[in-house]
Amino acid sequence: MTSVFEDFEQGQRIGSGPRLAAALTPVAPAEYPERLQSFYRSSNAARLSPDLRYSLFQANGLKLPKQEQNAWIDIFSLYWTAIGEITRFSDAPSSASWVKVFNAWKDLVNMIIRGYTNFGLQAWTLPCLYVVGKYLRIFAMKADTELASQDSGFGDSFQDDITSEFEKSAKLEEAARIINRMFTLCLSDRAPIEESRKWGVYNTTNLLFKTYFKLNSVGLSKNLLRALNASSADLPDLEAFPKSDIVTFKYYIGVIHFLDENYAEAEQHLAYAWNMCHRNARKNRELILTYLIPCHLVTTHTLPSKTLLAPFPRLEHLYRPLSNCIMKGDLNGFDNAMSAGEEEFVKRRIYLPLERGRDIALRNLFRKVFIAGGFDEPKDGQPPVRRTRVPIAEFAAALRIGTHADDRSRVDIDEVECLLSNLIYKGLMKGYIARERGMVVLSKNNTAFPGTGV
Amino acid sequence: MPSVSREEMETKLKSVITEAAESNTLDKIDWKTLPLPQVMIQNERNRVLASPNVSAWSAVPSQKHGSTPDALSKKRKSAEYNGDANGCPPWRQTNNHNTFEDRITYSPTDKRQRVDHKNSSKFKANLELRRKRFEDTRYGSSPSSRDDSPAPANQGPVVGRCQNLEKNYFRLTSAPNPDTVRPLSVLVKTLDLLKKKWKKDNNYGYICDQFKSLRQDLTVQHIRNEFTVSVYEIHARIALEKGDLGEYNQCQTQLRALYAQQLGGHPTEFKAYRILYFIHTRNWTAMNDALADLTPADKRDLAVKHALDVRSALALGNYHRFFQLYLDTPNMGAYLMDMFVDRERLSALAAICKAYKPDVKIRFITEELGFESDEQSARFILDNTSEDLLQEKDGAVRLLTGGRAGQLFEAAKADAHRIVDIKGQI
Repeated sequence: MTSVFEDFEQGQRIGSGPRLAAALTPVAPAEYPERLQSFYRSSNAARLSPDLRYSLFQANGLKLPKQEQNAWIDIFSLYWTAIGEITRFSDAPSSASWVKVFNAWKDLVNMIIRGYTNFGLQAWTLPCLYVVGKYLRIFAMKADTELASQDSGFGDSFQDDITSEFEKSAKLEEAARIINRMFTLCLSDRAPIEESRKWGVYNTTNLLFKTYFKLNSVGLSKNLLRALNASSADLPDLEAFPKSDIVTFKYYIGVIHFLDENYAEAEQHLAYAWNMCHRNARKNRELILTYLIPCHLVTTHTLPSKTLLAPFPRLEHLYRPLSNCIMKGDLNGFDNAMSAGEEEFVKRRIYLPLERGRDIALRNLFRKVFIAGGFDEPKDGQPPVRRTRVPIAEFAAALRIGTHADDRSRVDIDEVECLLSNLIYKGLMKGYIARERGMVVLSKNNTAFPGTGV
Repeated sequence: MPSVSREEMETKLKSVITEAAESNTLDKIDWKTLPLPQVMIQNERNRVLASPNVSAWSAVPSQKHGSTPDALSKKRKSAEYNGDANGCPPWRQTNNHNTFEDRITYSPTDKRQRVDHKNSSKFKANLELRRKRFEDTRYGSSPSSRDDSPAPANQGPVVGRCQNLEKNYFRLTSAPNPDTVRPLSVLVKTLDLLKKKWKKDNNYGYICDQFKSLRQDLTVQHIRNEFTVSVYEIHARIALEKGDLGEYNQCQTQLRALYAQQLGGHPTEFKAYRILYFIHTRNWTAMNDALADLTPADKRDLAVKHALDVRSALALGNYHRFFQLYLDTPNMGAYLMDMFVDRERLSALAAICKAYKPDVKIRFITEELGFESDEQSARFILDNTSEDLLQEKDGAVRLLTGGRAGQLFEAAKADAHRIVDIKGQI
């Protein structure tokens, strides 16, 4: 049960960023629910500055350079104002407003940024920046929700078109711009690396990614990546950064590639995140797997095992029906499973890669045709060879079964050929179509369906 | 009048006369009834004091303020503003109220000032307000132009008074003037006129310009109803027909917001276009959003279902299905599909060349890839690869498939996709 001032003092004395940042958290810890109120009531607007000077420094004999000391007093003044707005929610709900909280908190964030640029705050205090940034984003979203309930939808009248799309998250966009400045603040620090704010680069990047994803403007993330790449020479190795930052960063990079349908690259980054993710971070592991599984399906045509998904019932539920159908070559079941899960798939942005699983299901179905075709007559004591010339009509028949076609629906031979030609083109089948003879000629020597043993 | 110095009075008088001379109204102004310069100055001061939220000193722009980059750039863009900070009438400069900004000295490098304001839209709005008040008083100094001063920006909708049906489009750089904005009743007639003109003249440059001003008038008057929807829909259709994707995309974005408010119109038709559009631009992130927007009812709609089938056929490389769908496209979707059909033909040919041996009849290509004739498909192949891929055998033209043909089509396909990457970024 520590007060704001104790956290501040301890943080400064032992040089612990996280401890210091605890002083700037706008949420009271469970064991001390009155902490914010008690801090807010410890002063009033008229006496704020001297009060803070006393509590932060004079009472405990903490010594900092004058400039830095004043910066902290300014920071805590703004923190005090913001806390005043926050505590209204419990003390005077009728006058409480998230927009006001956001605006007050924004002032605080700006002051902290200025603290680093102008008043010599040191790099080890960066967790303060992280904490205020994190809540800036949260308060912005709450403020937007609050505004949405009062909004007319028309912005300023200088636009040619209606702008409700953007107005909807005006505060979050504002937050994104400020967080972007936090990112630049870290990236552009030229101090020697030991005491550089560069160590905050990935943390702020992640926060910005999160915000851009929420704003549905993933495209902006690419500008960040460009900036990071441009100064990659000055940055320490990725491994040197805190693991939690790296795992999150890799996860987002993976998802960004994933959304661009660069599944091979996405897989690399996601696998990195997966391997480095803390084993008890179940939620994060589940998130990574959500995207890693479809990647794997597209790049290596493999399905998740039961053991892999055992700890994640949600993923098991999401992926198992599809996986079973793919394995069996059950096209009809696959289509049904896709439309049954469509809403969830689309929401998670995994519909498009999963859809490609149909190719694998189709491959498995056609593979059965090949196996059912049996062996050609063995010639003079040679080991038997599978029949490699398969009439297209047989694949068409398989397709009728696979799609549960009834008597009336016809399977179009041209379409069967098209499906075959696609499988061959994608390397899932080896061989060629001899159109004039209505035959598929498959490779011999167990290479007709690469990677499946036949 | 004791409060107005002789110097101020003379300056004022001079400016009134100069202005009248410049606008050739020297002999039109009734000088007998015109208020005395002292009275004019007094009136101005009173107006400044009386206007709400304005304290006297802030109505006078300080030199310092005018020189912040933000204000400068705004002024450059503004058509109404005709003079830089130094062009202030002399009486303004002598009439030194010693403004608050002047007394506080921020060094130009001090971040305090900029950091505080840079991200605050409120500050920008204030700046804008202040600039307009400034214009108010400037124009107010000459009686003849008093009526021209823009309405005070109260952020509310403008009510138009313009009765002309046609109007050229200009990007707004300041609050709109009600005299040049057409009210809804006029705009309805405008739309009818434009529809007729489009049918008759088919002049896209003119129509696009007119529609943009029509949209602008709707926006500044906060008109958002079924009529708004139909304006955007018609403009979008015309842009589609002319292949103006930039303009089409603007309309599409607006329509999405309008449909979300259930204002009528043809949401499914345009949701279908949106899907086709994202296929063309290959914007998968946006495609995901478009898919997420669809309701179960949307998915039963013929056009939406068609667009979804097109998307899924392409995703799976099912060119057979794709070209069947292409030949049977509802509404104006074919204009969009035309934009990427050649690209998909090249993809299909790359697959066909790899899968078939030793050759296929040109007839097969024509039928599978939705060409109108064998000549057209032969021409397409020749345009994209080399002529030795086509050979006549047994009375039929055949495409020689296999490795080399595959490579040629693969290269052409990569080319076609690269071009769209650039286009898609518009």
